[in-house]
Amino acid sequence: MNRNQILCSLVTGISFLIGPIMLSAQEISELPGAQLATQGLGRPYWHVFIAYAIAIGIVFFWVVSIGRRLSQIEKKIGN
Amino acid sequence: MSSKKILLTGTVLAMIGLIWLGAVYWMSFFWVSTEVTQGIAQRIMYVHVPAAWTSFLAFGLAALFSAVYLWLRDERLDRAAVSAAEGGMVFATIMLTTGPLWGKIAWGTYWTWEPRLTLTLLLWFIFLGYFLVRSSTENPEKGKRHAAVVAIVGALDIPFIHLSVIWFRSLHPEPVVIKAEGPTLPGDMLTTLLMSLGAFTVLFLGLFLLRYSLENLRSELDTRSRHASV
Repeated sequence: MNRNQILCSLVTGISFLIGPIMLSAQEISELPGAQLATQGLGRPYWHVFIAYAIAIGIVFFWVVSIGRRLSQIEKKIGN
Repeated sequence: MSSKKILLTGTVLAMIGLIWLGAVYWMSFFWVSTEVTQGIAQRIMYVHVPAAWTSFLAFGLAALFSAVYLWLRDERLDRAAVSAAEGGMVFATIMLTTGPLWGKIAWGTYWTWEPRLTLTLLLWFIFLGYFLVRSSTENPEKGKRHAAVVAIVGALDIPFIHLSVIWFRSLHPEPVVIKAEGPTLPGDMLTTLLMSLGAFTVLFLGLFLLRYSLENLRSELDTRSRHASV
């Protein structure tokens, strides 16, 4: 056996040994408990949307409030 | 500057601010990259931090106008102070409602009595007191003078809020933009934050001018009704 054949035999043997372990690890990662290890980018979406809605809502409320008070005063001055 | 010009400038600035804020919302949701550890929740920073900055600017202006009012007794300065203080309350309310939503994800709790949060809530209550003091006396001049003192005392809280995260052990993160060695945010996040700071500031200035016009018109109405009764 030359060096290449020995190397190929080793790689094939190791692959057969590791293969089942890797497959079982993939199965474990799909279990609910393993979700803790995943990156939780989708977790707090609603917090972000509520924060942005509050910001624009309060600004909108102030704009409307100033507008209403201005129109009331202008009406009074007009009379 | 005439009342009509102030009203027009305020309207134009407020319109620019609102459109600019729309662009910031688009950048926050579709353009800026997502932070690795906190994920999408970190995007709350683009409304929370500018709201904090704008409220400090507004309360600072209210205190400045109040101090000069106590010195010169010019009614226009009192009108400017109350307009700025109202803006400060609006943006401080945004800061105090968006902060806990971010805190729930970052710290696991909506509220904790740590120095920065406590001092910020204290600032909000001091300026709530500003409006109560103004309307609580029978003599309006006395109310304005007392409220001016409250505004100055309230603004003294602002440097403590900024420095509290450096002086004390705190859950709140330290500054990432205003620091000795320069900003430490990645480029796109810093751009979005600065854009948001610009939008909030322009929006505040526009609405402040509109609010100031309202106070001018109220004063004009008061003068007319006094003349009519005489």
